Amino acid sequence: MKSLRRDLSSNPQASNVASKVFVRSTKSGKVQKIVRELYLRQDIPCSSKLCSLCPSIAPSDANGNIAPFVLSDRPAGTKAFPRGHYLVPDTNALLNGMDLFEHTGAFYDVIILQTVLEELRNQSLPLYNRLLSLIKTDEKRFYLFFNEFRLETHVRRGPEESINDRNDRAVRAVASWYEEHLGASAKKGKKEKSVPAIVVITDDKGSIKKAKAEKVTALSLSEYVSGLEDSEKLLDMISEAREARDSKGPIGQLFYPEYLSMSKMMTGLRAGNLHQGTFNVSPYNYLEASVKVPAFNRPLLILGRDNSNRAISGDMVVIEVLPQDQWKSPSTKIVDEEAVTRNDNPDSEETEAVVSQNERKALQEEVKKAHGKSSEGKPQPTARVVGMIKRGWRQYVGHVDAGSTGSQAASGRRQQTVFVLPMDKKVPKIRVRTRQAGDLIGQRILVTIDTWERDSRYPTGHFIRSLGELETKGAETEALLLEYDVQYKPFPKSVLDCLPSEGHDWKVPATKEDKGWNGRRDLRDLLICSIDPPGCQDIDDALHARPLPNGNFEVGVHIADVSHFVKPNNAMDSEASVRGTTVYLVDKRIDMLPHLLGTDLCSLKPYVERYAFSVLWEVTPNAEIVKSDFTKSVIRSREAFSYERAQLRIDDPSQTDELTESMRNLLKFSKILRQKRYDAGALNLASPEVRIEADSDEVGDPLTDVKTKAMLDTNSLVEEFMLLANITVASKVFDSFSQTALLRRHATPPPQNFEDLINQLSKKRGMELDVSSSGALASSLDRCVDPENPFFNTLVRILATRCMTSAEYFCAGAHAEPEFRHYGLASPIYTHFTSPIRRYADLLVHRQLASAIGYEGEDGHAVIEGVNTRGKLEDICRNINFRHRNAQFAGRASIEYYVGQALKARGEKMAAGGTDSGIDEEGYVMRVFENGVVVFVPRFGIEGVVRLEDFVLPGEAGSRSVSERRELAVHRTTHFDPREYTLRVEEKGHSEKERGVDVELFQRVKVNVSSVKEEGRGAGKRRVRILITE
Amino acid sequence: MSNQRQASSASQTPHLSPAELSYLYTSLSLPKSPIRPDGRSPTQFRPLTAESNILPGTNGSARIGFADGTQAIVGVKAEVEKTVLSTDTLASSEVGEGEDSTSTSAAASGHGSWVQMSIEIPGFRDDDALPVFLSEMMRESLVGSVADGGGDGDGDVTMAGGLKGRLVINKRWHWRLYIDVLLLSQPLSYPLPLLSLTTHLALLSTKLPKLKSQGEEDPFFDDDWEVAEYLYPRSSNLKAAGNASQHVRPPVTLLVISVGENVIFDPSREEIAFLPSPLLRDTEAGNLKLLSIRTVDPPSRLTQPAVPNSENVNMLGATAPTEDIAVLNPATGEEEVPGVWRPRRGGVKRSVIANMIKTVLKKGGVGEEVLEGLEGVEVE
Repeated sequence: MKSLRRDLSSNPQASNVASKVFVRSTKSGKVQKIVRELYLRQDIPCSSKLCSLCPSIAPSDANGNIAPFVLSDRPAGTKAFPRGHYLVPDTNALLNGMDLFEHTGAFYDVIILQTVLEELRNQSLPLYNRLLSLIKTDEKRFYLFFNEFRLETHVRRGPEESINDRNDRAVRAVASWYEEHLGASAKKGKKEKSVPAIVVITDDKGSIKKAKAEKVTALSLSEYVSGLEDSEKLLDMISEAREARDSKGPIGQLFYPEYLSMSKMMTGLRAGNLHQGTFNVSPYNYLEASVKVPAFNRPLLILGRDNSNRAISGDMVVIEVLPQDQWKSPSTKIVDEEAVTRNDNPDSEETEAVVSQNERKALQEEVKKAHGKSSEGKPQPTARVVGMIKRGWRQYVGHVDAGSTGSQAASGRRQQTVFVLPMDKKVPKIRVRTRQAGDLIGQRILVTIDTWERDSRYPTGHFIRSLGELETKGAETEALLLEYDVQYKPFPKSVLDCLPSEGHDWKVPATKEDKGWNGRRDLRDLLICSIDPPGCQDIDDALHARPLPNGNFEVGVHIADVSHFVKPNNAMDSEASVRGTTVYLVDKRIDMLPHLLGTDLCSLKPYVERYAFSVLWEVTPNAEIVKSDFTKSVIRSREAFSYERAQLRIDDPSQTDELTESMRNLLKFSKILRQKRYDAGALNLASPEVRIEADSDEVGDPLTDVKTKAMLDTNSLVEEFMLLANITVASKVFDSFSQTALLRRHATPPPQNFEDLINQLSKKRGMELDVSSSGALASSLDRCVDPENPFFNTLVRILATRCMTSAEYFCAGAHAEPEFRHYGLASPIYTHFTSPIRRYADLLVHRQLASAIGYEGEDGHAVIEGVNTRGKLEDICRNINFRHRNAQFAGRASIEYYVGQALKARGEKMAAGGTDSGIDEEGYVMRVFENGVVVFVPRFGIEGVVRLEDFVLPGEAGSRSVSERRELAVHRTTHFDPREYTLRVEEKGHSEKERGVDVELFQRVKVNVSSVKEEGRGAGKRRVRILITE
Repeated sequence: MSNQRQASSASQTPHLSPAELSYLYTSLSLPKSPIRPDGRSPTQFRPLTAESNILPGTNGSARIGFADGTQAIVGVKAEVEKTVLSTDTLASSEVGEGEDSTSTSAAASGHGSWVQMSIEIPGFRDDDALPVFLSEMMRESLVGSVADGGGDGDGDVTMAGGLKGRLVINKRWHWRLYIDVLLLSQPLSYPLPLLSLTTHLALLSTKLPKLKSQGEEDPFFDDDWEVAEYLYPRSSNLKAAGNASQHVRPPVTLLVISVGENVIFDPSREEIAFLPSPLLRDTEAGNLKLLSIRTVDPPSRLTQPAVPNSENVNMLGATAPTEDIAVLNPATGEEEVPGVWRPRRGGVKRSVIANMIKTVLKKGGVGEEVLEGLEGVEVE
């Protein structure tokens, strides 16, 4: 029998068509063979400015423009490549050295291959995104070359060739093509231009060998970096992951169990035996973590190093519930990593019994049962980490542990391994190899984690850069911004280009014929004023109230019309959407929008005309709303008050002008509104806030700057109307955009969140907390009053707030309507509308509202772009929720830092005068542990851990140095009663009543606050030391 | 009506006159050296063109065109599917744990319904008798064939449990195979051999993604298609082209006719039309094995028998009656008049069948030749 095969070789087109075949497994479990045909072309430019051939063939866009060429015609040279060079990194080089490629000192003119980019995406999404943004920036001259689509550089996979080998070959093929191509173009150009070297960077030894055979210049990353200036610093920036893998000859002792394979995890997750969640380390005990999983309504505990199995706070992990006999109650101990030297014995691996399917199923049931009961004291279900879905690793700010540098530290220059203590207490020490250990001691540095091998007790990472001396303002502020991922770089030029060309001279057009007046109401004759904190520059809002002929009042809230200046989808808009919010630090403000807009053009400054977005209500004298109206407007604010000044003016009976009257009316209405809100069940929550006025002179006591926020009537005046405006706008926007309205919700917290607090209150004070609804909670919180202790109520409110979930932005389609409720405000619907200068959400709501009222903009076509697709909105919501939270954390951390610094300054001043005795204050016990308590000091709005040694026992000198005190800890013993929340501290062997100190929950204690230089982890952070003196 | 249906179901046979039929029969039944209309030897196949992997989107595919212009395309698609467990297997299946004894259950040994076959023939509805009958016939032999594997030498690739067993991933998951057969031309001759050969070729080229997960985990596959594994595993030594490089091969169905004592392979259209007693046979590779034999009704039965001159009223007296030598058909006991067509009646002699089987199965026989020929297509 003869069989003939069709011959394709005669087809001239065949070589131009290639295909890419792979297997795709979908989430639903389908496995598909995917075939992508590739039509190879020859018009993909090399993008080198040296090339004389490509400009003529490069494809142009619809306007006939050719994308500008990226690679420099005079690339930087090194010793090895004096004529300059282009870099072609392979995937491993990028994986190991992304920080290097981002470095501004070297690594310019880089050709990134499509092959490499795709491979990188499969390996590490974060790195892929970083590479993409590198390609986007112009300065670094990274060119994305679509080598797979170009005929000459497309590489067909050979038989028996692995994907990696093929991709490596593709990299080399591109390098040799570039060389040839540039050579040819130089010849054709006749000018004897020097052709730059094409250098392949690869960490694959096999590939280097093959490159040599193919006459392609290839270097390993470290070889290349060694040839650069400042190579020592740069060498430190290479990821350790690779080296760790290489140097793993004889595997040492394995401390940690292996992670399950992806398929095993998926099987377990689907079957419900395993659970997935984010690993969350306790702030008080680094060995204790919790993971919230959807299957149970309370988080599962993970105790100890073995069980957390190399997970780091923020990782997405897969966990397995441990057998019931290993369930434990949450630790009542404060454990700091540096305090515990060697408490983890890797040998103490529990021999795990084989648990059958049915037993496992039953175990899940037990978890539910245990969760259903009250939690206090009972053993809680524990779990262990068995797999890793996604690492949440980021860059960490920390400092080198001076104790780990060893003796040759001073001699420097030798590579050695040191420990870096991250600022974040939840993150373990990071092992970093560095050649500059000597220089790095005493510096704030940025490091990243590369890997955590099973045979290593600590994760391994590498150094990225130094932020500066510890405890200097610059370094610490930058550290803080980096820790909370705040974008603090100056606005790029593309953003500034979006600003009005007139700059500060911009004015509201004089004639109403101007297109700027289209659709705007002239409200310039209204007596509008703004009330803000003192020194406020970005005035978002202004108010007015005036009587109407029918006896009702017209009340107006006018918000800066930011959406007029920030058009959707331009560079400024996308920058703002990434930043999400303005971040307020004590002495610095990181703006969401460029300065010009925030503090001038948008800001509703007094005495000048400004564009505004107004919400106008007609209200009866009893503050019943008759109707509401929205309009774009032009206003002229009559005055910008601070809260205090407004209060004074209202209180001053001699002032009877219209503006003051208007404010009095506003105040009257606000009080009614407030009452109504409370009647509806709104919560009056408290957060420990202090204000710091940083602009005071140097001479005085620095602590006078630290002020707790005073609540004046005028504060709540503004607040009430802002709430009202937000609620009114929210329902209007939701009416128009039932799926895409951007709203804000505060989910009702599950009652079990409050369990601990309820227990504590009933035990210690006999008080009850009714958490059945927000109204019930509000009134029961009102009843939590201790006549002896005026602060007690606030303390309870602070604690209650911590039991709740945080409010979040969402897109109306993402939740059912009953879920829109804002629990804290007791409003069925809510959004943010009133601060568009500092919050991106408000800006979006402005756009939605403008479109809802049919505002057509300057040029007559409504702009609702960017607010009409739900997917995009949900992305934005996710980002702004994240930014919002981080901004709050950063602000708090900044205050904490400032308080520490102020105490330090004071301490130094006092020390000069003789003694550093700290400052005596009142504190309140918030939490009781087995070996310490957490005390809140309202004066500074800080809470601190009081350890054993920080108790001043009767008959003992209060002022001792930290090290002296540390000695004390071992001589002390405690009696801890978890049911009564009491702790008795006494000296060993001296159990006489009068020699010990008793503290209990909610107790008011006298404390001595001072700032001490913290050793170990928080160095530079000036731990605020609190001594309980009484 | 039934006649018409039968005619169309067998093939669109040319309508030959009784005289033509008689001529053909006589020449084909010449003892030892039959003369075929196209001059082939009895075991010679017509040339065909074949190629595999013609449809990139499928797991495996093939096209075969016969010289008479009939062509078929087969595509094989595989999907992962959850095995519906009976209660007893559910109770005993333990994630990530060892095997248990209920290997007799469908979850372990596979199920015939996991192979689905659909045949499309121009001019036929998919629920017509012919496509249904053909697909069931091919599917049956596919899932029914169980190779005992490892008959000879380096039995490193065996396929225990046959195709059904190969489709089992683990106790909870299996592959489902969709075989789509498309006849591109009108079914000029009986299409089953063509379809069967094409299906065979397509199955040979079929690959399944490489499994990365182990044991009772949810399946998880390597995303590199290059490492995908053949559905019918191949031995590593490809150079041994002479040897059967494959231990387990899908079955093929051959069409054989017997004319008198002669056994004739790959009958042409005219030969089928005539088909004294065709046999459909399934072979399976490894050591070639006969799976089943089926007989098909020859379409020539439908042709009206001719009337010998002696009985022809019109011819009465025109010829000498002595010229008619009546021969008694040994099988039917009927009178045969040379040159006068009469439909054959009755079965095939045992010795003929034995001869047929021998011709196919013997070393270097027709079966081997066919399978090797098809395998040769694979060599790129």
